[in-house]
Amino acid sequence: MSSKEFDIKINGETCSAKTGETVYEVAAREGIEIPTLCHDTRLEPAGACRVCLVEVKGQRRLEPGCAWKVSEGMEVTTESDRIERHRKVLYGLYLADHRLDDDGFPVETANDNQLRRLANETKPLDLHPVDAPRVGRPEDVNPYISFDPDLCILCARCTRYCDEVEAVNAITLSNRGSQTTIATAGMRGLLDTTCELCGGCIDTCPTGALVEKKSPDRLPADARKIRSTCNFCGVGCQLDLHVVGTNGDGRVVKITSPPPGETVNDGNLCVKGRFAYDFIHHEDRITEPLIRGEDGELHPASWDEAIAYAAEGLLKVKEKYGPDALGFVSSSRCTGEENYLMQKLSRAVYGTNNIHQCSAT
Amino acid sequence: MQKKNAQRERVLHLLEEEGGVTEEAVRRISGETGVPEADIWGTGLFYSLISNPGKRVRVCDGLSCRIKGADDLALSLSEEGKECERVSCLGQCDRAPATLDEDLEQVCYGVQKRGLVPDDPALPMNLGGKLNDSYSSLGKAREIGPEAVIAKIEESSLQGRGGAAFPAHIKWKGVRAQAETERYVICNADEAEPGTFKDREIILRQPHLLLEGLAIAAFAVEAKDIIIYIRGEFTSERRRIEQAIEEAADKLGDFHWRIANGHGAYICGEETALMESLEGKRGMPRLKPPYPTESGFRGKPTLMHNVETAACIPSIVERGGEWFKGLGRTEPGTKLYCVSGHINRPGVYELPLGVTLDELVEVAGGYDGTPMAFSPGGPSSGFLPISDRNVPLDFGHLAKAGSMLGSAGLVVLNDTVDMAKATKWQLDFFERESCGQCAPCRIGTRYLRRQVDSFLADGDVSALEFVGDVGWEMEEGSICGLGMVAAKPLESAIKHFPKAFNGRSE
Repeated sequence: MSSKEFDIKINGETCSAKTGETVYEVAAREGIEIPTLCHDTRLEPAGACRVCLVEVKGQRRLEPGCAWKVSEGMEVTTESDRIERHRKVLYGLYLADHRLDDDGFPVETANDNQLRRLANETKPLDLHPVDAPRVGRPEDVNPYISFDPDLCILCARCTRYCDEVEAVNAITLSNRGSQTTIATAGMRGLLDTTCELCGGCIDTCPTGALVEKKSPDRLPADARKIRSTCNFCGVGCQLDLHVVGTNGDGRVVKITSPPPGETVNDGNLCVKGRFAYDFIHHEDRITEPLIRGEDGELHPASWDEAIAYAAEGLLKVKEKYGPDALGFVSSSRCTGEENYLMQKLSRAVYGTNNIHQCSAT
Repeated sequence: MQKKNAQRERVLHLLEEEGGVTEEAVRRISGETGVPEADIWGTGLFYSLISNPGKRVRVCDGLSCRIKGADDLALSLSEEGKECERVSCLGQCDRAPATLDEDLEQVCYGVQKRGLVPDDPALPMNLGGKLNDSYSSLGKAREIGPEAVIAKIEESSLQGRGGAAFPAHIKWKGVRAQAETERYVICNADEAEPGTFKDREIILRQPHLLLEGLAIAAFAVEAKDIIIYIRGEFTSERRRIEQAIEEAADKLGDFHWRIANGHGAYICGEETALMESLEGKRGMPRLKPPYPTESGFRGKPTLMHNVETAACIPSIVERGGEWFKGLGRTEPGTKLYCVSGHINRPGVYELPLGVTLDELVEVAGGYDGTPMAFSPGGPSSGFLPISDRNVPLDFGHLAKAGSMLGSAGLVVLNDTVDMAKATKWQLDFFERESCGQCAPCRIGTRYLRRQVDSFLADGDVSALEFVGDVGWEMEEGSICGLGMVAAKPLESAIKHFPKAFNGRSE
């Protein structure tokens, strides 16, 4: 399909659009907000949550903005009495199928509950709870990811993410109708599935039904978010460290990925990047160079001292036993450039081909 | 990718062979096909015939069966020590209360008073006549060529008989217009709208008409593959089709025929859900567009017709579009009306499209008791009061009356029926059969059923305060037709039988 540029109208405003774009994409570019719960730019539009329904001139029914493709001359309305009523009842239905707080609003866990925000914007119809027989996996002992079926809206972002982005397919929509839930094969714990514990399901969940077990609650209001680079490998994924406490005494209590589209990792992280932050404040963490003295104990030293000491020790081995008595192993945390320097150190400085990189095995 | 998809398509069949979803079965099938275990698990649990392994008797809880004592029957079977599962309509409303034994074969506990319109060779389908297996229309179609065949279909104004009444020729032209030459013809034999059992009778009585119609359609849209998706409970019907394909092998040989089983999900009668099911997935309807004529089964152009629509085709090719059109009274052609409930001779009757209820019931042996309400096309059509008995039973007039002809599964209720209870039974059906994909339907069907239950329990009408809003949203906001109509039984019952919802004394 050749890409063609043309005009469409959204709420009477002329907007330029291209073949293949959706109403949601054009509106977002124009700064017109169409609410949605099931949409994630990393995923194929599902049109399942029905929150983004808009009026398209000539269409009898309301259509999902996330999936509806624009065409020349199309006229779209995103705010009207009809859409207002639709949202009011739809949100009311969601709330009737959701755990609410004492004020009747969706409970919020560590992750934002976007349904709560929507319910605040449009007063939902106050419907009697439906008590859906939706089950979770309370016995799942995996250390990182927990699922609360009472906060799930079945938008399937997590299962679609697991399939379309990660190609891991550990979780699935299961059962039917009001029994529909997020399941694993045999309802086993995630450790007994293909799950890689990347936590992308937590990241994409719009209601906080999926949360990190280690960090399940709302962070305090003064928590700071600090952009950093993951140091577990050389890819350079960006991550946001959530820090509680003041400078010098701050503690990382959670790590999330920056939103999709902003950084090289497009909102994704792996199990290490997202969850393996306990080392930061661990009491066994080595925070300065140490040299083992003649007394057999480790003694703090400066970097210069430590490096000089190591270099000297290596040279001594080379002089006594020859260069091939040495071997160099580079860490999987190193970048390609660092690995290059390591093999150069090995070959050019010490004269041995005994060089390896730990993630090659 | 194609290989992967081909493996995926086998999954439901393999689960059926394994006797249903168990962890071990899922593991084996995953090993054999490479499809992830979770996908097999989640897909299998969507379908009621395989989600719960083990053998048991199945008792229908459709409206016609409920009013003919299905609840008592289920109770007595349980007392006999038989494991008994209540299921959505079994497509045997004329044998109510309908039951399947442990091997999904029909068992009849009802009183047999079934009727059928008598032999009349002038009727396009003539279910009461002798077996029509000449395949002369297919021969004629080959003679005159695809364009001329489609012209005849257009001339006949044949509307889709599955319930949507979409003009058949538009689909045919749509498929023909595609550049893609890999095309499919699919027959929707997933007959499951409670009250409907016409496709079953066509398959059992005139299976060759169905095969001939499908072959003509495939010839006209230049498709090689014909797939018949038949509901899993139709065991003898499936055998009859297999036999017919064998009998007519010499005439049908240039097409590749395949019969695929449904696995117990009403929603798979929705065309896109049906294709998802064929592709080995959960039967959740797709967003439209794209329409199946452009991107259907395997993403290829697909022509899908209901059994009855296909069975009309041979006579149209043989005797002409004008002739077929002239058979109808208010809309083109004859129609198979299924009648059950409080009727003396429930059955399938082929009559001009647009007859009235009284005319239909007269053919079906008259009313049983004093008629009070009727449901023209299954629960999806809601209820109409008997005062609407003169509305022509066609697609247009019933739509204007706020109902629909749908699949023409008429259920008549006499004045012994509690309309609030009957409404609750219909809502049970939609709650059980909602696929769960979109919130308006998943939550709405459960909400409505629970509110009516609450009203039935204590007579407090305040339970029904918001059902109008919820019904409105289900129609506006649901992805597919199921959700759009699932509030109809309640909306129509409140409208036409307000007294039943005015508070209860018991």
